[in-house]
Amino acid sequence: MSTPLLEMSGVRKRYGGVQALDGAELTAVRGEVHALLGPNGSGKSTLDKTLAGTVVPDAGTIRIDGAEARIGGPRDAHALGVAAVYQQLSIVGDLTVTQNVVLGLEPARRFGFLDQRAARDRAGAALERFTAAFAGRLPLDRPASALGPGERQIVEVAKALARRPRILVLDEATASLHKEQVDVLFDVVRELRADGVLVLFTSHRLDEVFALCDRATVLRNGRTAGTVELAATDEDELVRLMVGDAPHQAPRAARAGAAGAGSAAEGPVSSPAATLEVRGLTTDRLRDVSFTVRSGEVLGLGGLQGQGQSELLLALFGGAHVGAGEAVLDGRPLPLSSPVKAARAGVALVPGDRGRQGMFAVRPIQENLSLASMHRRATARLALRGAAERGAATAMVERLRIKIGSLADPVSTLSGGNQQKVVIGKWLLDRPRVVLLDDPTKGVDVAAKEEIYAIVRGLADDGAVVILNSSDNRELTELSDRVLVVFEGTVVEELDAEAISERRLISSALRLGPGETL
Amino acid sequence: MTGAAAGLVDRVRGVQLSGLATVAMLVVAVAVNSALQPNFWDSYALTSNFATFVPLVAIAVGQTIVVLSGGLDLSLGAQVTLASVVAVQVVDGSLDRFPLAVAAALGVGLACGALNGLVVALLRLQPIVATFATSFVFSGLALVVLPTPGGSVPFEITTAYRDSVLGVPVALLLIVALALVWLVLRRHRVLRHVYAVGGDADAAYASLVPVARTRVWAYVLGGLFAALSALAILANTGSGDPFVGNELTLASVAAVVIGGTALAGGRGGAGGSVLGAIVLALVTNIIFFADVPTDYRQLVNGAVIILALALAGIPALQKRRPSA
Repeated sequence: MSTPLLEMSGVRKRYGGVQALDGAELTAVRGEVHALLGPNGSGKSTLDKTLAGTVVPDAGTIRIDGAEARIGGPRDAHALGVAAVYQQLSIVGDLTVTQNVVLGLEPARRFGFLDQRAARDRAGAALERFTAAFAGRLPLDRPASALGPGERQIVEVAKALARRPRILVLDEATASLHKEQVDVLFDVVRELRADGVLVLFTSHRLDEVFALCDRATVLRNGRTAGTVELAATDEDELVRLMVGDAPHQAPRAARAGAAGAGSAAEGPVSSPAATLEVRGLTTDRLRDVSFTVRSGEVLGLGGLQGQGQSELLLALFGGAHVGAGEAVLDGRPLPLSSPVKAARAGVALVPGDRGRQGMFAVRPIQENLSLASMHRRATARLALRGAAERGAATAMVERLRIKIGSLADPVSTLSGGNQQKVVIGKWLLDRPRVVLLDDPTKGVDVAAKEEIYAIVRGLADDGAVVILNSSDNRELTELSDRVLVVFEGTVVEELDAEAISERRLISSALRLGPGETL
Repeated sequence: MTGAAAGLVDRVRGVQLSGLATVAMLVVAVAVNSALQPNFWDSYALTSNFATFVPLVAIAVGQTIVVLSGGLDLSLGAQVTLASVVAVQVVDGSLDRFPLAVAAALGVGLACGALNGLVVALLRLQPIVATFATSFVFSGLALVVLPTPGGSVPFEITTAYRDSVLGVPVALLLIVALALVWLVLRRHRVLRHVYAVGGDADAAYASLVPVARTRVWAYVLGGLFAALSALAILANTGSGDPFVGNELTLASVAAVVIGGTALAGGRGGAGGSVLGAIVLALVTNIIFFADVPTDYRQLVNGAVIILALALAGIPALQKRRPSA
């Protein structure tokens, strides 16, 4: 075979404390649909973005047609014939559909004045195939913000197609499309393949990968685990590549049992009356979610990232618009209308975006710790005593073993792990009965992770209801008594203690299994 | 043809609700003003009113472009001052040198805008802080160029500015001309990119829009409109004043908001800002004719601006409310 169209090698990229890509490799030829697969956080999107120019890698070489390509930005990628459909769409809501499709490459007359007719023609041509998705009429002059998620996704696809790429990157391009639109997209991709275009396809729907793609490259922890011919591969082999040959991790409950009569084992039975029951919870992104958690239990939320897990936690904390359903704590309905009411009812949320939602980075540790529970220590709900505030903060620092210089230092001076402990400690001072944790160990080093695990277990042992969302399957196996696998806003599977394993979590997240269709 | 008709419906639907609020405020302001000022509709009063509107309209158009790009220019008033004192020193009472003075003013606006743009887009400083800082540089330079009020504008210019053509005040024609310039700019790629960058800078970057260059352009255009504002002030007052632009900065931001442009960027347009500027100027008029004691004028003016901003914000709030 002649030189491959695309060769990426030794690609590395680090975000803060996370090594997203650690020497990833990818080789693909023209006229091929090449799948890019891997579990959460394996680096698929980052690799896609280095090719599209929105992420500049720390190291690595990219060769296109055998020549080394320097991609410093999206415009460089475009010059090399690369166009991308991004997972976080590159649609500007205030512009019309036409303006979005031609954005950055607007057809112009002399002196840069826009040729609006040519723009409409180009957008119309790019969207024509998808007319059915818009109820038969293309909304060329409507603002993109007025479109539904699927319609926007199609505009994003049309925008990439209008750039007439040699290499087309589709990152979760089918995520919000209906079956018929997916079929149209696949037809288009097959035509592009016949014309010699290379399509890089990332999707969390494995059946789509098998239906469309020729070969697949699997990433694991930022490295390439292997490239396979899909015709000669089955799903088990793909999952094996994604999980690797890491030693099988025993579920937490089994280990706890082996360690003797651990307090964790008796937690669930100690106060069987306290339960959180969620019935038919429905929001913009959740469909009819129901489950029950007992106090003393850690309920894990698994599945691929962004399937609605964070939204579920937010909804229980009163931070989402709840369309239907209810949550009942010990027989009393939980208020789901505002975070303040939720907190008063005994719910605490440790948010996923620690920096933006969890703490006041430049304020002292003391203030951050005491903030959520000040009303408990205030005299007549008004006056705070410095000694009481300091005492409460000091006790929490000791209890969680937060490594600090002084309570007066800003939180931003702490390491990621200790910052997260401050965020958790802030809520523990409010003595919550339900603790919601959204990816609590993201960007936290290994030692601090273990300590946070101990805190989470301790919370459950003290009788709290704990719900833990994690993008890290190993974390779920270590901490959870049960795991709910969430897929596209709904709970698709419940794994009990014996069934929890990384392998099982991944295959379940990818919706593999008997009788399952999409 | 149903497609075209439906497209028109979509376009009408795309018009901002706040456009109605702006027009309503204008109607109220005109009604109150004409009730308080008996000769409001006389041609002399009209001419005189429009003559005071032009500088505010021009700076409001400039501020609109910067705000649309997702920025804010707190140095526009100082740029007006600097451009006007430079122009008045250049013209020095001579009609022959007036074209040169126009070029000088535009040159000052261009340079100030380029400086702001580079500081914001390349050094990535916060626009509010960066332009607040450069405003002191520009004000300081203005004092060096013209330490005390003075200089003179040729009387042909001041006379023409307050003249009428076929019964239409020249100043009104200038306002129409500014609106036309805006409409022309809107059809240009740079303005499209300004909207895209202000709407979603990350998406614009991923869509091949030259984000930094577009931001610089927005500040440069803002500076050029500040220069036009300076020339209008000179034509209206006939002499230079090193403090003349001080109050225009706040007024320009207020006009933009009253005009329905989102301060977050990406949404709105200068048409509303033109009306917003006129509303603000009428409010000043009303306070004068309502016999508000001199000491209270600034207070009332500020309160009315806050009220107008709140009214203008209501439709925007409704639009922001999360929907399904």
